[in-house]
Parts: sequence; structure tokens; C-alpha cells
Amino acid sequence: MSLLDALLLILALLILFTALSVVVLSLVWIERKFLGRLQRRLGPTRTGPFGLIQPIADAVKLVLKEDLIPSWSDKAIFWVAPLLVLVPSFMIWVTIPAAKNLVLRNLDLGLFVIVALLVVSILGLLLAGWGSANKYGALGGLRSAAQLVSYEVPLVMVVVSVAILVQSLDLRVISASQVPWGAAEPVLNEAREAGANFNHIGLPLVVIFPLGLVLFLLAGLAEVGRIPFDIYFAESEIVGGPFVEYSGAHWSVFFLAEYINTFLVGALAALLFLGGWYGPFLPEWLWFLLKTYLVVILIFWIRGTLPRLRIDQLMTFGWKAMIPLSFAGVVIASLYRFYDWPAWSLSVMSLAILGVVGYWIYRRYTQPVVKLAKIYGHRPRRVSNVS
Amino acid sequence: MSAMENADPLSQTHHVDLMLNMGPQHPSTHGVFRMLLRVDGEVVVDAEPHIGYLHRGSEKLAEGEQYHQVVTLFDRMDYISNFNNEWVYCRAVEKLMGIEPPERAEHIRVILGELNRVASHLLFLGTFGLDAGAMTPVMFSFRGRERVQALFEAVSGARMMHNYLHIGGLKEDVPDNFHSLMNGLLSELQADVEECDRLLTFNEVFVARSKNVGAIDLQTALDYGWTGPCIRACGLEYDVRRAEPYSIYPRFDFNIPIARDGDCWDRYFVRVMEMYESLHIIRQALKEMPEGPVMAGARRLIRPPKGDVYVRAENPRGEIGVYLVSDGTDKPYRVKVRPPSFCNLSALRQLVKNAYIADAVVILGSLDIVLGEVDR
Amino acid sequence: MLASLKGMVLTLTSVFKRPVTHQYPNQPRPVENRYMGFPALTWDKDVGEPYCTSCMVCIRQCPTQCMSATMKDNPLQKEGKSKRRKIVDTFGINLNRCILCGICVEVCNFDAIVMSHEHEMSVYERNGDRVDLIELLEMGKRYQDKTGWIPPTQLAKAKKEKPAPRKASA
Repeated sequence: MSLLDALLLILALLILFTALSVVVLSLVWIERKFLGRLQRRLGPTRTGPFGLIQPIADAVKLVLKEDLIPSWSDKAIFWVAPLLVLVPSFMIWVTIPAAKNLVLRNLDLGLFVIVALLVVSILGLLLAGWGSANKYGALGGLRSAAQLVSYEVPLVMVVVSVAILVQSLDLRVISASQVPWGAAEPVLNEAREAGANFNHIGLPLVVIFPLGLVLFLLAGLAEVGRIPFDIYFAESEIVGGPFVEYSGAHWSVFFLAEYINTFLVGALAALLFLGGWYGPFLPEWLWFLLKTYLVVILIFWIRGTLPRLRIDQLMTFGWKAMIPLSFAGVVIASLYRFYDWPAWSLSVMSLAILGVVGYWIYRRYTQPVVKLAKIYGHRPRRVSNVS
Repeated sequence: MSAMENADPLSQTHHVDLMLNMGPQHPSTHGVFRMLLRVDGEVVVDAEPHIGYLHRGSEKLAEGEQYHQVVTLFDRMDYISNFNNEWVYCRAVEKLMGIEPPERAEHIRVILGELNRVASHLLFLGTFGLDAGAMTPVMFSFRGRERVQALFEAVSGARMMHNYLHIGGLKEDVPDNFHSLMNGLLSELQADVEECDRLLTFNEVFVARSKNVGAIDLQTALDYGWTGPCIRACGLEYDVRRAEPYSIYPRFDFNIPIARDGDCWDRYFVRVMEMYESLHIIRQALKEMPEGPVMAGARRLIRPPKGDVYVRAENPRGEIGVYLVSDGTDKPYRVKVRPPSFCNLSALRQLVKNAYIADAVVILGSLDIVLGEVDR
Repeated sequence: MLASLKGMVLTLTSVFKRPVTHQYPNQPRPVENRYMGFPALTWDKDVGEPYCTSCMVCIRQCPTQCMSATMKDNPLQKEGKSKRRKIVDTFGINLNRCILCGICVEVCNFDAIVMSHEHEMSVYERNGDRVDLIELLEMGKRYQDKTGWIPPTQLAKAKKEKPAPRKASA
């Protein structure tokens, strides 16, 4: 590698860092504004038009804030933990393509690298919880380890089933192979020339494999610790979990990593299931951003509606529902590939599984309570003859 | 963790439980309540509740105040249901003095008391959702609560500490546009309650978090002296408004919602149904409200005859009792309050045993305590 | 699953409804007519003196003992301008101790004290909310101008002349 290459690489990394920071700022604004509107509030309004400068104000406040380090804490671990969370989440983005040619280093085994790097943050959270010498922190750290390890498995299995469907681990190829029209040909030809033997599906995977998207989003929610899986922050129980003793810049590093990971889940969902950056009329990077933000907004929307699960329910759901379902996904994907069934058969199978699971949840949780409510005599009195 | 460090890693034949201090500055202890949890991993082995952080000596203070000044102390006891608290105290003094408040005053008291019940239950609904991890119910329910408080401001001049119910009636008549205000409020409030109900009641995650959590059987609950929605969730149809009717409640048609299992979801559900019933009572009272005076000519200097009296009433949190001793002077000799929150809270230790840490928070939320009343 | 999805639809529809937020400092929420803010002393415009004669009723009836007052002979009475023989000399309220119960207003026999609409009175010092007679009268004048205040005894007299339902005797 020549010096120029190295300089260019450093420049590119800096640009990536800046771009991601801007994305995080935008996510903070969107989350606050959107949550506000979900709850019929206004969200931030005081800083700039529509409160647009609010995230910058937040960032300035966080950096200027006193950085308290508890005297009992293990200083080295306390310092290292935020970096252990932040650095992998940045490293993942090196191999995420935001458009056909907008990627720092496209890897043939891109998905593999991403999955490998995702696991590292567990260590950071665990160390953060343990190193801050706080009981809430310790509980949160252990919770995060249990939760993230459990949900890593379904996430990987979904990725595996996508890889089986497309026969590639290259994110550019995976996205391109979902495009029905000719726009994807350059990427595909390039891959063909390189000798890759992949499967051109020609439909966004969400159409033929909805089960995968649902499982991916659920596992992704758990990976980034968003409601209903924010067990390890659990504001109302363990008061922020691993982050309870962090403040100022240290805390903002965690914050940054959390939002980058949220964005990552959106980006991966877009690349793996929604056809990546391909779409009519608009430029490629814009399509990518649109799809990603759509998924992220869905995550915020779920956050604005659902309560939080309990730790045992989370583990039960992970091991007894998510993992079997993700294995089922692998199985139906393999069957589809092996026997070359038509595309609709896979979507029918996916929908059937989803339907059965939805009905089971309804039977298990909703129906008994609805019946009970009838026994208790739940009948909202209507407004009538007000004098 | 200091206890953990003491354990010799080479002879791990015993394990040490973690003492987790929850409160008084914990986001979900509803005020300044402190719980010392002994946890084994995520499971609570034992809990030690500590109360008294909000003790202001209200009962003792009442002995130094004149009768009409004590109303302000009752305002601040259960600060979520002020009108109900004022009401029970005023009833105690009225019973001692043998005066009957006029019809109109009684109707207004019923309307305001039931509105306050709705507001209190709305607050419960929001914070209970917050305890379970949902952040939207609190925003939705506070909208309804805000409407009720705006009406309280129009009627009494204050949003929370009203000092509006006086011994023998009311401080002044309601404003002239009371009926139109109420009609607007009632339909909006009904919509708000229904919205919160739709958002939370049957939500699968919420049901998973609260059903079969913190269940208690009826006999144990009775032994702890539970009252109000908590005992009704265990299946006992006990409501002071029905069991020992006071004021003009016998005239109204309303149900007493009960549940069966006595778990957190049932306690929540009973309260939701009570809100609909309260709105129903308000509509009836509003329709029958007569014209007339609102004060039964009580003199300003109130000097009840010697004697004592015990009066109880149905507060949003349960049965509140006031024991009042008069020595014939213008200040009460003794004011003893039987606070519902305190009795309901006493079962906490048993409830959270063998529950998860997350459950402990939900159980505490489902009891709907107000620390101002527990500690007085 | 159904109820969760219904809840999500509910929150989504809220996005398109009007927010209920009041932009507080820019758009102060209008207080109701009966709003009980901090107590203030009224000003008799006809005579040009306070209504208060410093009779100490409110001070004795205050549950928190947050007031104090002294009286003096009324100089305007000697000039024949006023009927009040005694008039307030100093009056102090520690608004930090006041609990806004309104008992002082109820017991006052001279319409001299009102619950004004002032409530934005935060200060930086611990006892910065001690107000004296001048400030109390300022607050009272603001209140009188804003609400077109009529002394309650006059109001009651007017009510008594035409038969109307008897109001609570304050």
C-alpha cells in the first residue's frame, strides 16, 4: 500500500466517521420528534426551526458535562468499555455499501465480518457494567450478556438463510440479486466475472421471505436493546444498567454506538430484504437512506407503543420461539433452493409460519385475558344522555 | 458487591445474595419509597420496605390547627386525590357537629370526588405503564388528567391543593358555566379513558408482564387489611360507597367492578373499569344537581361538641378512615387517619418474594401507593 | 398479537392529530378567573389607600403563619378623606411559606386581600420571595386591573338586593 493509498484510506475513514455522526444526530432528532408526535407532543421546538439543532445542543451539553468516574470503579475497564462498544460498531460500517460504488471496502464475506463484529459489543457492555462497581450496573451487564448472546443466534440464522437463498455473503451481490430490472446488471456481471456463483432472485426478499425480515427485525431490536427488548437499560428497573455510572463524554460514546447500531439494523434490513439501494427515479444513495430510515422509524414506532418484556420472558422468547423459527427459516430456504420451487411457495410457507406464531401468541396471551375481561364484565359505558 | 468479594473463590460452597437498594431515589418507586431487595440473580429472595421519607407529621400538625385549617393538611396527605381527602375530613367534622350539607353541595362533592377518582386512576394507568416499560400511556393519560385539573382550577382556583370543600358545604358555588364545562369535559374524558384502555389493556407484552404477577389470595389480602381496587381485584365486592353508603351515593346507579385472581393485571383492570363507572356516576349527579345554597350556615369559628367520631370513605386508593376527637375547643384534640395506601403497601414484602426484580417494580406500581399518605 | 397491533395503529394515528402541548413561556396558559395565585393586597382607588387596616385576622388564621403586619393611624382620616381610622403600616408575606389555601381571603372583613393571578415568582435567593407592602399592593393593582375586581362585600350587597340563590358566606 502506497502512502497515498493510506492517506486516502484515512480520509475515507474520517468521512465515514463524520457521515455516521451526522446520521446519529439526525436519528436523535427523528426519534425525539417522532416519539413526541406519537404521544401528541411537539418534540423539540426550542432550538432552531423545528428543533433541528436540538441534537447538536445535546451533543455539546454531553461533551461539556463533568465526566464523573466513581472512585470505586475499575478505572481501566471503565475507560476501555465505551471504546469496546463504539469501535466495532464503526468497523462494521467499513463494509456496508450505501450505493453501488459507495462503500469503503466491499468484502466478499461482508456479512460474515458484520456478524463477527456485532458480538464484540457484548464484551464492552459487560465490562462497563462490571467496571463501574455498581449493583445496577452489574445486573445490567449480565443481562446484556445473556440477552445479546441469545439473540445473536437467530440473527445469524436469518443471515444464513439469506445467504442460502442468494448463495453469496457479498452485500452488494445480495442487494443486486433482488432487483427485477436491469439496473443491477453491472454489479451482477462484475460478480459473475469474478467467478461468483450466486442466485439472481429478481424480487426483494421481503416478498418471498417475510419470515426472515420479521425475525431479523426482532433479533435486531434485541441486539440494539430497543423496547420491547431494552432489558439491559430498563430505565424503570435497573436505571440504565451498564451506563448507570457513566456521564458526559463517556456516556455519549455509548449513546453514539447505540444509535449507530440502530441505524445498522435498518441498513442491514434494507440491504438484505428490501432490495438495497435500488429503486426507480431517485439516486441510489437516497433510496438506501429512505429504506433505512423507514426501518429505523419502525423501530422508534415500536418503542413508542410497547412495554418492556421481563428477562425470563425475553430468554423464553429467544430460545423457544426465535431460535426454532430461525432454524425453520433456514430449513424452508434450503428446501426452496434445493428443489427449485417457485418463489411464491417460499412466501406462502413464511406467511403460514408467521400466521401460526401470531395465532399462538393470540391464544396464549390475548384470548385468556379477553375472556377474563368478559367474565369480569368489562363494558365501557358509552356517553349517553348528558344533561 | 463487597459481600461477593469476601467469598473465597476456592471454596465456592455457598453463595451470597446481592442486596439491592431500590429507592428512595429510584425512578419507579413512586415518590420516596425505599425497598431493600435481597436478590439471587434476578429473583428477589426477600424485600425490606422502608417508609417515612415523606413524614411531615400531618396528624400532629392537625392538633395545632383550627378545624377549617386542617382541610389544607388533608389536601396534602393523598396529593393525587385531594377532593376525596377533603371530603372525608369535612364529613367527620360535620358528623361531629351534626350538620348536613345542602343538596347542591353534596352533588358537587360527588362530582368532584368522582372526577378526582378518574384523575387518580389515570395517573395510576400512566405510571403503571411506565413501570412496565411503555412510555406512551403516561403521555396519553396525563392529557385526560390535565383536563380534569383544568376544570378543578376553574371551580376551586387551584389545580391540586384546592381547599374548596369546607365544613358544612363548599367554599363558594361552582362557576356559572359549570354545566357546559362538565359536558365538554365528560365526552373528552371518556374518549381519553377509552384511548388509554385500548392502548394498554390487552397488549400482549403488557399482559405478559402483569398477568399472574404478584397474585395474592383473598384471605391473605383481607388479613393485610387491603381495601379499594386492590381487594376488589381479589374478588371481594367491597366498596364503602355500597357497604356503608355515605353522602348521596345510594341514589346513583353504578356497578362495583371486581376481578378474581388478585394479580397486577386484575388490579389494573379493576381501576380501568372504575373509571367508566365514575364517569357514569358523574353524569347522573350532573343531571340531578339542584339549585340552592352550598353552605349549611356553619359559623366561621367551628367548635364541635366534645366527643369522637370515626368516618370512612372510598378513596381512589381504598378505604380511608378519619378518627377525630374533639375536646370542645376550636382545635381538634386528635386526628387519626387510616390511610389505604399504607395498608395496601404492607403486603409488599410477601408479594415480591420469589418475583423478578422487574416484577417488584410492577407490583409496587400496581398497588398505586401515594407516599404522602403512607408517611403522612 | 392483535392488541399490540391495534395499539401501534393508535399511536400512529396520534401522529396526525394535533399535539396538545402548550408552548409555555411564549404562550402562557390562560389562568381561570378563580385561579388562586399568591396573595396580594388591594388598593382602594376611590380614596387612594389600601383596603387593609391591618386587623390581623388573616395573620391569625394563616395555617403556615407566613404573614406579618403592623398598623398606624390613618393620616387621610384626619384630613377627612377616608373612613378608615387605622391603616396598614407594614405588611410582609413570605411567599415561600404560603400554601395558597385562600383562607386569608375568606376571613378578611375588609376585602383587603385577594388571591392574585401571580405565580411565576421564582427567585435565586433562599428567602427572595419575601414581599413587602409596596410589592403586595403592586401585585394587587395588577390583579385589579386585569380582572376588573369588585369588592366582594359590594358584590354580595348587589346580590342581596335582587333575590338570588344564597352564596357561600365567606
